[in-house]
Amino acid sequence: MPSPQMTEQQIAELKEKIKNMSPGELKEFQKKQCVFCHIISGKVQSKKVYEDEKALAILDINPANPGHVLLMPKEHYSILPQLPEDQIAHIFMVAKSLSNACLRALGAHGTNIIVANGVAAGQKANHFMVHIIPRKEEDGLVFDLPQKKIDQKKLSETKEKLAGRLAELMGKKQKKTDEATDSSLDRISGLLKDG
Amino acid sequence: MAEECLVCHIVGGRVPSERIYEDEDVIAMLDVNGANPGHCFVVPKDHFPIFEQVPDPIVAKLFKLSNKISSAIFDSLDVQGTNIFITNGIAAGQKVAHFMINIIPRKEKDGINMQWEPKQMNEEEMSTIELKLKEEAMNIGDFEAEAANVKRIEIEPSESVGGPDNYLVRSLRRIP
Repeated sequence: MPSPQMTEQQIAELKEKIKNMSPGELKEFQKKQCVFCHIISGKVQSKKVYEDEKALAILDINPANPGHVLLMPKEHYSILPQLPEDQIAHIFMVAKSLSNACLRALGAHGTNIIVANGVAAGQKANHFMVHIIPRKEEDGLVFDLPQKKIDQKKLSETKEKLAGRLAELMGKKQKKTDEATDSSLDRISGLLKDG
Repeated sequence: MAEECLVCHIVGGRVPSERIYEDEDVIAMLDVNGANPGHCFVVPKDHFPIFEQVPDPIVAKLFKLSNKISSAIFDSLDVQGTNIFITNGIAAGQKVAHFMINIIPRKEKDGINMQWEPKQMNEEEMSTIELKLKEEAMNIGDFEAEAANVKRIEIEPSESVGGPDNYLVRSLRRIP
């Protein structure tokens, strides 16, 4: 991460260094820069509400509502498609239980579960996480999902592209899927690095 | 299935939909009035109103599929991100009483708001919530062991056991 003390030249050198890193080196580098990895290792303090060997859940220090939980894998991944399938299953089973905990322990009337993949989707940190936000009536929160009328031609086009690609991904073994999506992942992770 | 539930009617094929994936447990379809083109939702075929009621093995399937759809969106549509979004309960904006996962393709400045103003909370308030949640979260279980022990049980409410409200049927339903 460029810090304010760095000169133009140092920033350029850092960018060049990042560009030449192997995927393994890049992951190590991101981990060192990642505040959530520091929270997981205990170097940075946090309010932990749940922990197991794969996952950690903490309270968001800038909560959308009281009890806003951030649930993350302990290993560093930037976005959802980078997680192995067993981790995806585990994280969301824990998310369900934490949602239940919000309803029971905090008297929430509902929860929003949000994942943002990519800066355009509102992702702020370079560590994949699930937001669990307790909700009550008239709590002032609005997540605006506009309803757009999508014309039939556009809908059919989208369906064809999406269903075609999905069938390929579902048909392949997990490992092959990872390879197949590498270029897209680079695109999205690249956006994160710049952001 | 629930008589009043639109999603159950879609699952049963009585209401048309733009399906992109289906197996014995889950269905994914395009939202015809989506927030963005390519907005999909993934639902369990069985009727569960909220997240907490969905059995763990189905949760695992739903989110593995959601991940694949998210990847397919990245690969096949010209987008810069995706949101996975769940409204769980009316207070959270849930409109249909059938649990669903929204997968929303995103571009810069597409008019969708997934941001919030942080609420100011003092240290004492934060600590109180931390303790309450931590205590409740202590009961979160050993998912691998649970998943390994799950048997799929088809429940056919029948007259002989006294219909769906019979105690036996209700307790069977509690088995994941």
